Amino acid sequence: MLEAAIEILLKTVVILALPLGALPLIIHVERRGAAFMQKRLGPNRVGPFGIFQPLADVAKFMFKEEVHPAHVRRFFYTAAPMVALVVAILPLACIPVAGPIEAFGRTIFPEVFRSDMGIFFAFAVSALGSYGILIAGWASNNKYSMLGALRACAQMVSYELSLSTSVVAMIFLYGTNDIHGMVSQQSGYWLGFIPQWGVFYQPVAAMLFLIGIFAESNRLPFDLAEGESEIVAGYHLEYSSMKFALFFMAEYIHMIALSALFIIMFFGGYSLLPGMELIAGKSPILLVILQATSLIIKVAVMIWFFVWVRWTLPRFRYDQLMNLGWERLLPLGIVNLIVTVLFVYFRNR
Amino acid sequence: MAADILLTILTVVFALMVVFSKRTVVAAFSLLMTLLVIGMIYFQLGTVFLSAVQVLVNAGAIAILFVFVMMLIDVEQFTNNRERNKWKLIASTITVLILLGVFAIVINNNIESLSAVNLSDNSMKTLFAKLFDVYYLPFELATMLLLAAIVACVVLATHDKHQSEEELIEAHNVEEKQ
Repeated sequence: MLEAAIEILLKTVVILALPLGALPLIIHVERRGAAFMQKRLGPNRVGPFGIFQPLADVAKFMFKEEVHPAHVRRFFYTAAPMVALVVAILPLACIPVAGPIEAFGRTIFPEVFRSDMGIFFAFAVSALGSYGILIAGWASNNKYSMLGALRACAQMVSYELSLSTSVVAMIFLYGTNDIHGMVSQQSGYWLGFIPQWGVFYQPVAAMLFLIGIFAESNRLPFDLAEGESEIVAGYHLEYSSMKFALFFMAEYIHMIALSALFIIMFFGGYSLLPGMELIAGKSPILLVILQATSLIIKVAVMIWFFVWVRWTLPRFRYDQLMNLGWERLLPLGIVNLIVTVLFVYFRNR
Repeated sequence: MAADILLTILTVVFALMVVFSKRTVVAAFSLLMTLLVIGMIYFQLGTVFLSAVQVLVNAGAIAILFVFVMMLIDVEQFTNNRERNKWKLIASTITVLILLGVFAIVINNNIESLSAVNLSDNSMKTLFAKLFDVYYLPFELATMLLLAAIVACVVLATHDKHQSEEELIEAHNVEEKQ
């Protein structure tokens, strides 16, 4: 009993420490990346290459005065950032950073919440992501926040549909909903060096999922919820200091969690990157470390992709967003799902 | 056991808040909480898939549309009038009768038999085999109920006792000319 409790505690610490520790780094990469794309320097004063700038930002967020506007709905106003952060963190519970480990005479699974239905849990919880924003917008009692919240909510519900169709297609294709099963099916190679990742079987589903991630995490080109030039700052307009920081963290953690899910389904999850088998050898500890490194490298590439897209594409107009979601992506997703199901049916006959 | 009791109490409290809360949006959030706690009960029973579906469909999609529409049209302005509802008595009588019926069923049957859908075998295959085989009739009845609800919604939303459809179109045309 005690042993199990310690195990869960340790796993929780690891899975929380990884994204929270990476957060300042990601924010720094984002700002320096933006500067790089716009041919300027970016933050470069605090420490070498400005790497201590995020720490300075954290200090600022903590010690800044917290402004409570008089017209807000107090209870919901306070609850909204917490809801946003908790809902963003929860999907991390089912994401394995490495394969099952044989140790202490039993198999230890590296995810906090072990279930073969883990992937459904992750998507169910991340579907609640719009509540934080919706509550914030409504509680702020201000028309810009309200507009931002309504936009965010409509956008997330619309894109969730096409995202779900791609997930269902992948589950049909793999024939399993167990995350470890999905990863092990992607760990082989064609011709000895091309990894058998899901993206090569299902490029359409991968594209739908990728667009879905951008829309779900409210990143450009889908950041209509904030839209600085139209509705000031959208749903977090009335929030200052640490409450704003919680929204900020929630957005990035949501991004990390969804990227990890994307990588598990389409880019082999924690399966080793090509070339790593040569050094993995027989040592199980080294194997686990290399698996975790592979996943972290893949997620890092995804995060860089997010930054890249953010400073490359302009924001969609609202009607363009809705047309893309309902008239292009959803039919595409359904057709893709039907084709996949037929393919799997005739393959298994 | 303690967790079961706590979750049950929370469900009832949130459900009561849906009915009795003065502010519509608070009621909608209470509905959301009710659905989430029911999801947690499924989770507690070890049926992760059902719980995920409950959260994904009911809390993540249906409740959010409720909240969305309530915020969009600012329902508060319609709810402040304290009109007496003449159907109150009939509606509450029917509700109490249904509740008593459910209680009677629970008491008359062995409680154990209620967990007949034993989903300790947690695979989707078993679940859907049961759903499309043993529980096919209730499943279809539930869909009929949903259909009835949709029809009722359409009627309620479009029915206007002061104006017939032709009059509405005429009024619209006049408006456009101006």
